Amino acid sequence: MGRFWAVFFMVFAAACVGLCLVAPQYGWWFPGDGKAHTTLGQKIDDLFYLILVIVTVTFIGTQIALGYVLWRGATHDPREKALFSHGSHTLEVIWTIVPSGILLFIALYQMDVWAHYRIKTYFPQKLEPVAEVTARQFEWRIRYPARGKKLMPTPQPDDIYTVNDVRVPTGHPVAISLRTEDVQHSFFVPALRVKQDAVPGLVIPVWWEMTDTGTYDLTCAELCGWGHYKMKAQVVAMPEADFEAWKSQTAAEQFYDGVPQAAAEVAQRPADE
Amino acid sequence: MPGREFSMCRLSLPATCLLLLTLAGCAKNPEAQFGWRDSTEQLIPDARKAVQKTMVDTFGTPQDLVAWGRLPVEYGGQPPGVAPAETPEEPADVTTSAEPFGHQMQLGRLVYMKNCLHCHGVAGDGNGPTARYLNPRPRDYRLGVFKFTSTLAPERVTRDDLHRVVKYGIPGTYMPSFLLLGDAETRAVVEYVRWLAMRGEMEKRIDDELADYSLASIDDEISKAKNAYEAAKAAGESAETPPSRSALVKKASEEFKTYLAEDYPEAVDGTADFIAENWARAEDEASVVFPKVARVADDAASRERGRLLYLSDKAKCYTCHGHTGRGNGPATEDFWPKPGSTEKYANRGLHDVWGNKLAPRNLRLGQYRGGRRPLDVFRRIHAGIKGTPMPAFGGTVLKDEDIWDIVNYVMSLPYEPEVPTAGQPPSQVAASSRH
Repeated sequence: MGRFWAVFFMVFAAACVGLCLVAPQYGWWFPGDGKAHTTLGQKIDDLFYLILVIVTVTFIGTQIALGYVLWRGATHDPREKALFSHGSHTLEVIWTIVPSGILLFIALYQMDVWAHYRIKTYFPQKLEPVAEVTARQFEWRIRYPARGKKLMPTPQPDDIYTVNDVRVPTGHPVAISLRTEDVQHSFFVPALRVKQDAVPGLVIPVWWEMTDTGTYDLTCAELCGWGHYKMKAQVVAMPEADFEAWKSQTAAEQFYDGVPQAAAEVAQRPADE
Repeated sequence: MPGREFSMCRLSLPATCLLLLTLAGCAKNPEAQFGWRDSTEQLIPDARKAVQKTMVDTFGTPQDLVAWGRLPVEYGGQPPGVAPAETPEEPADVTTSAEPFGHQMQLGRLVYMKNCLHCHGVAGDGNGPTARYLNPRPRDYRLGVFKFTSTLAPERVTRDDLHRVVKYGIPGTYMPSFLLLGDAETRAVVEYVRWLAMRGEMEKRIDDELADYSLASIDDEISKAKNAYEAAKAAGESAETPPSRSALVKKASEEFKTYLAEDYPEAVDGTADFIAENWARAEDEASVVFPKVARVADDAASRERGRLLYLSDKAKCYTCHGHTGRGNGPATEDFWPKPGSTEKYANRGLHDVWGNKLAPRNLRLGQYRGGRRPLDVFRRIHAGIKGTPMPAFGGTVLKDEDIWDIVNYVMSLPYEPEVPTAGQPPSQVAASSRH
């Protein structure tokens, strides 16, 4: 019976490792194409993989040790007298210092990414926000400044509005001002590795830098009420020039007065938009 | 052998019971049902059955939709064969197009059940399970009335209007944006909502036709007869004792039999024609409001003209929306009569046709439920807001230029400081500043 358990635990550990190795091929991994689409997101992924390697090595090492001990215990001569040990000072020092060293390394190593996000290069307040994103039950309402203008803390007559559609330019870091109109929400864009709670009464700057264009899912990651699941939106990253053109077009649509001669280019039926 | 058979019989009963018990949890959810209007439930039994039969024949049930060819609804696909007046929803497996007939409605129903039902209810009665927690209440489609439309005051809503609402939501309410729903899904759910609205309108209008056969009218008759009897007795005259309720119901049932045979089909036909015509006409270009002149330049002079119109007796905007646009005009302090009666609402303030209390919009929030395009605000003023006390000013009271001035003024309000004198004409402002 002892041998069974030794084999069982080894097979179990091997299955765990094997499952982790094949998981990415089955899409059981990061959302979307598995890559982070922001500069910082890639660093966060690097941290994740570093920790994954450390944990994997530790896991395999401890499982092998466990297997060895189990197998030895199962196969030793039953007439042999058991060895009694009061403990080993050296061993205890080793298994205290080694994990402490690893933890200390992780704690120090990750600080760079954290500082990069919060303090170093693009501390959000040095970035002009491209939009104000307001979460409410159960949608995202977005306010952009007019083309060539800065976002003001309060609405301006020429602001541009969208709903469930966050547009950002690529090529440089962008920031948004995150607010909530009612309860707590969370601005979560898995493919960008961006997640930030929206807290009532606060305007929270969130920044990132796209690495490529594309459309990414934005969801609410804070259970905010019965319609939480409805807070599906998109983040669309587009080249700077396209972004500006989109702003002009959206502004023209928003200030459409219904007289086609005046705004022929935006005289579209809403169903065709 | 007989003994063994007996024991098996004896065992089979508890075994069956046990089997049934284990299956108890496997029962399907109760089927969705189109509930009936109160006015249908209030009809005498024969009339109620007739209405319910008509509704099921022409619209079906949530599980078995009927595509009624008379309605201007795009059910999706080609109707099988030469479309008769009534076309069954699920045709025999021969279809001309790739998609079976009715596929758009099936998709619309699916999308509706997933996203809309829990507020708007199965029949679109605005009374789904989550509706009670919402203020403003979800729309009850069954009057065929929608608030934010692009059409003239007497017209129904267009597909494009509903499409916009589904896509962009209604800010300031619980109607969220379904921007990412997908175009086919949005179109389908819009069609389904139109169909539900027509269904509700049909039921209401037939009920109205049958008002004489409602229990309410019978109760009315009894109380009248009772009063006459009491009066006669007080005067010492001999009088007929008031008839009993059951006798009157019986009498009404007798009358209804002839009505059902002679006039009822015509009433249903007329109602169907009326609804089909109205909903089809909403899609006409002539029904949609477009300003005849482009937006008047949004300058100080235009806003000032708008402000004076806002405060004038011609437009009287301030009576509801308040002198400074906060939505707190004097009309919100009054008791208003219920539509079509002299009885007043229990609460102060304005009400919509669904009987909900309605606050006039606070124009200083910068929140535009029907859309923030100048065109949208123009349409609100030109055609009013259906089902609410917001009247239509277009064509008769105000010229398009006047409406644009008001649009310019109203849209500037969120960005202007609220000055106490804003509610007075400039002459008075000048006078008061001299003191």
